[in-house]
Amino acid sequence: MDTQGTAEPGMSGEEARSPNGPAAGAWVRAAVADYEGPLTLYAARLVGNVEAARDVVQETFLRLCRQSPAELNGRTREWLFAVCRNRALDVRRKEKRMTPLTETQAERAPQAASPAPPEALEKRETTARMLDLLQELPDSQQEVLRLKFQHGLSYKEIARVTELSVSHVGVLIHTGLKTLRGQMIPNAEFGMRNAK
Amino acid sequence: MPNLMDDPKLTAYALGETDALTPDERAAIERELESNAALRRHVEDLHAAAGRLEAELQAEPAPGLSDAQKAALEAELKPGVKSGRKRQVTPLPVASRFERRLAAGAVAALLLVVAGLALPVLTQARRQARAVKTFAGAEDIYRRTEYDRKGVLEYSKTASVYDEIYDPSEANAPKAEYVFGDDGGIKLNDAFIFQGFPFDGIQRTTPNTESYASAKPNPFKSVRGADAVSTFSIDVDTASYANVRRYLNGGQLPPPDAVRLEELINYFPYDYAPPAAGDAHPFAAHVELATCPWNPRNRLAKVGLKGREIPWENRPSSNLVFLLDVSGSMNDRNKLPLVKQALKLLVEKLSENDRVAIAVYAGAAGLVLPSTPCHRKADVLDALDKLQAGGSTNGGQGIQLAYATAAQNFIKGGANRVILCTDGDFNVGISDKGSLIRLIEEQAKGGVFLSVLGFGMGNLKDDMLEQLADKGNGNYGYVDSEREAKKLLVEEAGGTLLTIAKDVKIQIEFNPAVVDAYRLLGYENRVLAREDFNDDKKDAGEIGAGHTVTALYEIVPKGRYAELVGADPLKYQEEGALTSDAHHGEMFTLKLRYKQPEGETSTLMTQAVTDPELGFEKASKDFRFAAAVAYFGMILRDSPYRGSGNWELARELASEAKGDDPKGYRNEFVGLIERASALDPKSNP
Repeated sequence: MDTQGTAEPGMSGEEARSPNGPAAGAWVRAAVADYEGPLTLYAARLVGNVEAARDVVQETFLRLCRQSPAELNGRTREWLFAVCRNRALDVRRKEKRMTPLTETQAERAPQAASPAPPEALEKRETTARMLDLLQELPDSQQEVLRLKFQHGLSYKEIARVTELSVSHVGVLIHTGLKTLRGQMIPNAEFGMRNAK
Repeated sequence: MPNLMDDPKLTAYALGETDALTPDERAAIERELESNAALRRHVEDLHAAAGRLEAELQAEPAPGLSDAQKAALEAELKPGVKSGRKRQVTPLPVASRFERRLAAGAVAALLLVVAGLALPVLTQARRQARAVKTFAGAEDIYRRTEYDRKGVLEYSKTASVYDEIYDPSEANAPKAEYVFGDDGGIKLNDAFIFQGFPFDGIQRTTPNTESYASAKPNPFKSVRGADAVSTFSIDVDTASYANVRRYLNGGQLPPPDAVRLEELINYFPYDYAPPAAGDAHPFAAHVELATCPWNPRNRLAKVGLKGREIPWENRPSSNLVFLLDVSGSMNDRNKLPLVKQALKLLVEKLSENDRVAIAVYAGAAGLVLPSTPCHRKADVLDALDKLQAGGSTNGGQGIQLAYATAAQNFIKGGANRVILCTDGDFNVGISDKGSLIRLIEEQAKGGVFLSVLGFGMGNLKDDMLEQLADKGNGNYGYVDSEREAKKLLVEEAGGTLLTIAKDVKIQIEFNPAVVDAYRLLGYENRVLAREDFNDDKKDAGEIGAGHTVTALYEIVPKGRYAELVGADPLKYQEEGALTSDAHHGEMFTLKLRYKQPEGETSTLMTQAVTDPELGFEKASKDFRFAAAVAYFGMILRDSPYRGSGNWELARELASEAKGDDPKGYRNEFVGLIERASALDPKSNP
């Protein structure tokens, strides 16, 4: 498979040529099945809407098609999140250039990301308080907390995806969790339910 | 370490991120924890907070890729795709807006191909008008197409998409601009034959995307050796009958695979006696034997089970979660509006100790109504009223949310049940069907059962829905009218909601001294191996309060099998050694196994049956009616075992066995036979 003639920004000629035989299909399909949901969710938070997020995720997978499994060395998840993140940030930068967001729009954007039917949105407040609190945190903390608790990445993986140091990741998670706990504890009526 | 309480390292430790710590740091934390109870509590708090955050975040619905994007990825993975084509159908995110639209058009064009094949009567002019209009709305439509992993591009909702996309006022809209280019290999020729799309091919066996599992009718089995034993799981589903009725009332014979004999037979209530008051078993078994009406030399045996009736006011409390498909395809009048109507009927019937939650799924899943006790019935009804359809389907996450909600509000000893209402688009966003089924099985083991209500037409995934309900210890009904909703959710609410016995299996051992061969009518996908009967790990069907379950066997008496199959009698071999029990004249022994709804070990019931040698006309009305229904199904399936009879025989059998028929179901059935007969080209040459 080659894509000569399609100029794809951000993709070197080498990447564009597929190193994969037919057997690679199964590997990519498995990755799509496992990660299309998580990656779209992750990207939606970064770019602010689901449609743009889907495009980002699709491109991530298209790149995976051209990636040889051996090079990823078992780090497929990390690679996917990293590529997805870079692409999402590119899109966000581009969008910002085109329609500069005001401060408040930028804050609201991630919430608009949810494609839930309107009824579901209305009721969401009653069912997801911790998520509401999470929305109030600075973007960097939100992102890292999501990578850790929503997507199950380790500190080290998060550090490689976000290009931060492991200790910086540790500080962000610590601070975010501390803020959330501080706001949660007064709500004693909320029955504690440990997921484990 | 003075200030460990507020140290990111302690958080890392609490979260199990020991890799992020040096061995020294780790040791220091562990030393401190040993002596400091407050710090230990703090770590526990961190744990709990992390657990909650994790639970909430992981329950958040993930949108996933659109179907068209997946299709494009799939195209990318196909070996041997030529370069020129791929560009056209792969909506690369970096492509210009125009290119993306073109790709959307490619999918839309394929839809038109399928639509065109399904509705060949269209004039070319209309096709073009449609093509133009479709192109404009392509993105919308292409989100509703469904690409499954087998490489089959399915076309959803033929009729209504067609209505949406054909607008006569647009017939003269400019089209030159939108002509599909030759370079991309996308051609829309007269015959609507589509070329160059990098899929394996278009599979189109029925004029819509309904899917049915195919099953051959059970053959006659000779009563020799191991084949003397027939084992199957009961089935209380009724969907097939309602679906067949929908076809016939719509002026079409149903596809043979949509006809499941057992579901036709079990659609009707039968007047079997429930277990006596002191009886330990939750249901009673009745056997009746008479001449087989379509083959008078054979015998017909009916096994009828009747579940104990539980007065509605004495039933245990229910914890119900409605899981509703609110995707765009549910917009039709016979879908979401009917779902709402149906569920309102049920909610009206519930009492204040029952709870209802409503979860919806479309592009994403969400809880519309948290579990609400029914003394706030108005809130439940209000929430149902407000539901609207829109978006695409993602059933996988919806079902997780529904089960999580059911688990949170679990009523011990009560009826805990998820009720799924959908038109069948249920395969988007789930990584695979196997894991969905595993989830449903696990939940059923944990005491949350699943009922499935199918709605609408054109896209019904009958095979999938039946399987889900089967694995979820539930029942599968098809709702084509408010009347059907009433039957399932009001009249038979006890049977639908209250399981009184689970994993009910039937095993019959025939006596070769009396019987030559036998055939089980229907239950093709419920047949079990002989050894499964005693294996309590093998899942089987459930029976609800007041439910009746009926199974029929056609039995070939001794000495007639060779004649029946046209084989000569064996020259060198006589029948094998028979036990002394074989000489008591018993025709067969019926064995039943069941478990209590919360039990793990099964109980056995046994009954030996002797043929009273009754003629068909001497049999009960229920027996004769069930035979009529079975025969109707056999003709619809064009079964090789239908003998010499025809529609007229089915009609005669049914109309003579209508009985009281308080709800008019049997009367309606006679009407359906007449319709089927009128539609059958063979009966009107």
